[in-house]
Amino acid sequence: MNGKPMTRRNLIGALGTAAVSAFPAAALAAGWGQSEKRPASGPFLQVALVPCPDYDPERLLEAIRAGWRSTRSPDIRGKRVVIKPNIADFAPDRPIHTDARLVEAIILHLGDLGAREIVLAEGPPHNRDTEMLFRQSGFEALARRRGVPLIDLNYDDVRPVDNVNPRATLLRNLYLPETILSADVIISVPKMKTHKLAGITLSMKNMFGILPGMKYGWPKNTLHWNGIPLSICEINGTIKTHYSLIDGVIGMEGHGPIMGTARKAGVLVMGVNALSVDATAARVMGIDPARVDYLALAHKIKLGSLRSEDIAVAGEKIEQARADFVLDPEYTFLRAPKG
Amino acid sequence: MGPIKPMSNLSLARALDFIKANQNPDGGWGYRPGGQSLVEPAAFCLLALKAGGDKAATGGGLDFLKVCQKDSGAVGINPRDPEGSWMAYAALLAFHALGAATEERRLSDWILSFEDASGRLTPDNIKAISNDYRYDASIQGWPWTPNTMAWVEPTALFIIALVRSGVPPTHKRIRSGVSLIFDRKVRSGGWNFGNPYSKSHELEASLLSTAIALAALDAAGVPESRPAVGEGFRFLIRGLAGDVSTASLAWTLLALKSSPAGAFQAPIVAARLARLQAADGSFRRNLFETGLACLALGYPEVLLRGSGRSG
Repeated sequence: MNGKPMTRRNLIGALGTAAVSAFPAAALAAGWGQSEKRPASGPFLQVALVPCPDYDPERLLEAIRAGWRSTRSPDIRGKRVVIKPNIADFAPDRPIHTDARLVEAIILHLGDLGAREIVLAEGPPHNRDTEMLFRQSGFEALARRRGVPLIDLNYDDVRPVDNVNPRATLLRNLYLPETILSADVIISVPKMKTHKLAGITLSMKNMFGILPGMKYGWPKNTLHWNGIPLSICEINGTIKTHYSLIDGVIGMEGHGPIMGTARKAGVLVMGVNALSVDATAARVMGIDPARVDYLALAHKIKLGSLRSEDIAVAGEKIEQARADFVLDPEYTFLRAPKG
Repeated sequence: MGPIKPMSNLSLARALDFIKANQNPDGGWGYRPGGQSLVEPAAFCLLALKAGGDKAATGGGLDFLKVCQKDSGAVGINPRDPEGSWMAYAALLAFHALGAATEERRLSDWILSFEDASGRLTPDNIKAISNDYRYDASIQGWPWTPNTMAWVEPTALFIIALVRSGVPPTHKRIRSGVSLIFDRKVRSGGWNFGNPYSKSHELEASLLSTAIALAALDAAGVPESRPAVGEGFRFLIRGLAGDVSTASLAWTLLALKSSPAGAFQAPIVAARLARLQAADGSFRRNLFETGLACLALGYPEVLLRGSGRSG
């Protein structure tokens, strides 16, 4: 790590002033993404937008099955599947974490599909008391009930992996947990939330949680100094998320991802390509994904597409599902015009 | 709750047996049995074994920690980690307890030169942080990783280790670390990871951060009469009314044992922690937590100053 004076962009990420800045081209090398090849025209990415008004177990399972069927979902049979929920923190009166009932329904669904092994894994970002977070959020009981391992990624065995970005400076390699590296299929299951540093947090930002705190600190401050948009893209470029399933039944608006307030969107957003799933979820939140700098960067380096013309949305129409999430004043520029 | 019953010698022996049985071939320990050897669990297993009088297993463990030390004196998370970081606090405690004087001195010197990002911030940066998070970012503490921001827990852990290693609490880095801990206090009492506010939102304190911070303030000789200390203890006591994790309970016990005011609560917390021991002698089958629990229950002097605060 160098000892250069801090720039405003560093400060934004590392400390939390909340404007979104332009991205320096020097940090980029085009085309290190892993997404499917873009055709000349027409949608090539499938996203399911499935109505789900509450956390009733039967309704959740039905919604997951419907969304799974309508996307090019991965083959699960005989695979070791790692589910990565978002358990950023716990508060009894705020929906900070992915609802454990949704994850339980996913476990049942994956079991029906013939998964060989299912693992739950998360590395909470700033509270080191993972034992309590897992218990309070209901994931400890869920893991016991369903007989699945629940791994604290902050203290998992680790291995350095080359950063996919050839121009990476601060993070030339990423120390990644063996639980993630040994997975056949990774499913990112975030909460639909606003985020005080990134604008919004969905599937791609959720993958911050795979980097171990014991190497990157709490909060994962090294990643903040690297720049949040760049870190998100480097992580998602290096480790492929095979499926994303966003908990938008009840999300968080305002000063997320911890101190915001509950906002019902009543949907699950699902698909293979994390960027297109995130872009669709952003539109549901009333946000223009092209104005979210890490989504724009991910599009630029071909981690998928955020363009609506590239994404075939099955199920509910975005306009019908749209639930404009309240934005902090410095993020009002993210708002997408209606119509 | 059942009757108050502190951990017996037999229970301590079972915990130490669990630690010994799960030493890796390289001499170290992972957080879980069979896991990669890492500095923090290895150091706490060593501290517990040494305190318990075991000599056989400590030699290999000390060798593992020595391999983790770089030419600069730094210690990272394991021998392959190219940079020093927060786990160095645990290695310093172990080097001190096991009499590895040369390694201890080199590591102590490195920790005292281990910088956070405060020196890189401009006045505008500091003002922006003050507006959004309401703390003084110019105060130097310790980060988790080099040249990133300082936070409450690594600052507190390094203070505990440095004082144990003989660095006087009057040292400017320790004094600055104490200032940082006070500055980051949550207004309603206690500490969290290090942000008392996010914009207009007051963030909540946590038991783990508060207990470690209080233990560090004791190590630095801060009197209990300081209002923040009293508020911190009151937060701990309130927190004990609910569900508490193993690590939080162990650090809470250490904080209470550091304080004359904690004398009443400490035996109750000790009994509660002792009840978490599993049949195999471990605490959650986590080797770091098993070592930490042993120290909190049986050998607190390994981490604490000894006599507790004066008022």
